[in-house]
Amino acid sequence: MMGWTMIDEERVRQMTKMAIYEEGEGRQYIPMTQYFRHDYVGKELVKSVIGGTLAFALMCVVYLSFEMENFMDNINQIDLVQFVTGILVKYGIFMAVYLLITYVVYNVRYSDGRRHVKQFYEHLKKVNKIYEQEEK
Amino acid sequence: METLLELKDRLKSFYSKYEIYMMPVLKFVLAFTLFLVINKNIGFMEQLDSLPIIIILALLCSILPPNVTVLFGVLLTLAHLYALSKEVFLTGLILFLLLGLLYFRFAPKEGYLAALTPICFVFRIPYVMPLAEGLLYKPYALFSVACGTVVYYFLDGVKMNKATLSSVAEEDSATSKFAAALNQLIGNREMYLVLATFVLAMLLVYAIRQMNVDHAWSAAILVGILVEFSIIFAGYMFLGISGKTFSLILGSAVSTGIAFLLKFLFFHVDYVRTERVQFEDDEYYYYVKAVPKISVTQSKKQVKKFNSKTSKPDNRKKERITREQLAEDMDIDSELLK
Repeated sequence: MMGWTMIDEERVRQMTKMAIYEEGEGRQYIPMTQYFRHDYVGKELVKSVIGGTLAFALMCVVYLSFEMENFMDNINQIDLVQFVTGILVKYGIFMAVYLLITYVVYNVRYSDGRRHVKQFYEHLKKVNKIYEQEEK
Repeated sequence: METLLELKDRLKSFYSKYEIYMMPVLKFVLAFTLFLVINKNIGFMEQLDSLPIIIILALLCSILPPNVTVLFGVLLTLAHLYALSKEVFLTGLILFLLLGLLYFRFAPKEGYLAALTPICFVFRIPYVMPLAEGLLYKPYALFSVACGTVVYYFLDGVKMNKATLSSVAEEDSATSKFAAALNQLIGNREMYLVLATFVLAMLLVYAIRQMNVDHAWSAAILVGILVEFSIIFAGYMFLGISGKTFSLILGSAVSTGIAFLLKFLFFHVDYVRTERVQFEDDEYYYYVKAVPKISVTQSKKQVKKFNSKTSKPDNRKKERITREQLAEDMDIDSELLK
């Protein structure tokens, strides 16, 4: 045996599997290894707040332009407070539903991701073991 | 049946070997079809409605990630809408922004499903999308199909009413044109019917194929297509939409065929491909090409001849030898065994 100059085939095998995983399906699970659950879901919720608000604003624009003529005709009779409260309530409901969906989806995704990442750690453990054996 | 299974194995090994070349080709075909369909149906901007342009775009798409195809499709569509009229362009822009903001960030990976749906609509086989989605994807991919459906009906409405929506029709005010464009989206009852049916069919197909019963995939396909057909057929009658029955029947039949083809290709098959990776440890750099082990089960041909003249004496000879051997073993006269 030539000792350390030899290539350890088993180690190459494990490392290849790890590399394939990392470059392929593993890439999408990277966030699940870097964040705790509440940080991960929280980050997505913040993104949803921004996205949802923009989307709601867009919908308001669409609604207003659709009803433009009607709106202009009655502009003097509209109770502004009631109008704004109505929009805010709709915004609240819309955001609640959207955030709930985000919360559920990303929680499920986090659990899924953690399960997949475990598989990766199995290979990692094997490589570690091989290293440990070599050192002895 | 055996030849079919053999074919499947061959496909699998072909894929694992040539995946690196096949994916760009498939991406090119998808992108090219998408752009061609867009140009042929809503090609209002003449500068973009040319074959060289879409070939160049599709070639770009073949080497870029799949979502770039979707992005190019959206941009191309918006450019055509802009050429038609600014109001329609604005409506389209808002629609795409809404879809992007609300949905796309959830499932960016299934983006090409959203692109494939309008293509299937144009080819009159949209009924295959819920089946394929239910068979091959997770349930939330249904939003992709839903987005594709909404986009198709919007653009179809624009195409149908291009005369009233175009910039030339100046007698209408901008607001009313905007309202008319929006109406293609909000007031289309057929769209709601198809959307609801697709969502229901997708969930059904997904639920049935997950069940632990024999032929779950086939049952899922059949139930899915029957549900789609009956609801849409009844809906057309109810809404008074006529002249679509023939394409519904034909489309459903073709869709069922495609769904069974998908079942044949993907049922219990894990398409693994040749991987090229590089990594290093303390001593070496490794450039590894990992080729999956796939055993192609070639049919082993066994030729059995019955009653052929040449084989008969052989058999007899064998028989005689065994009889003689037996007699020898038993230490008796072989004549006794006859």
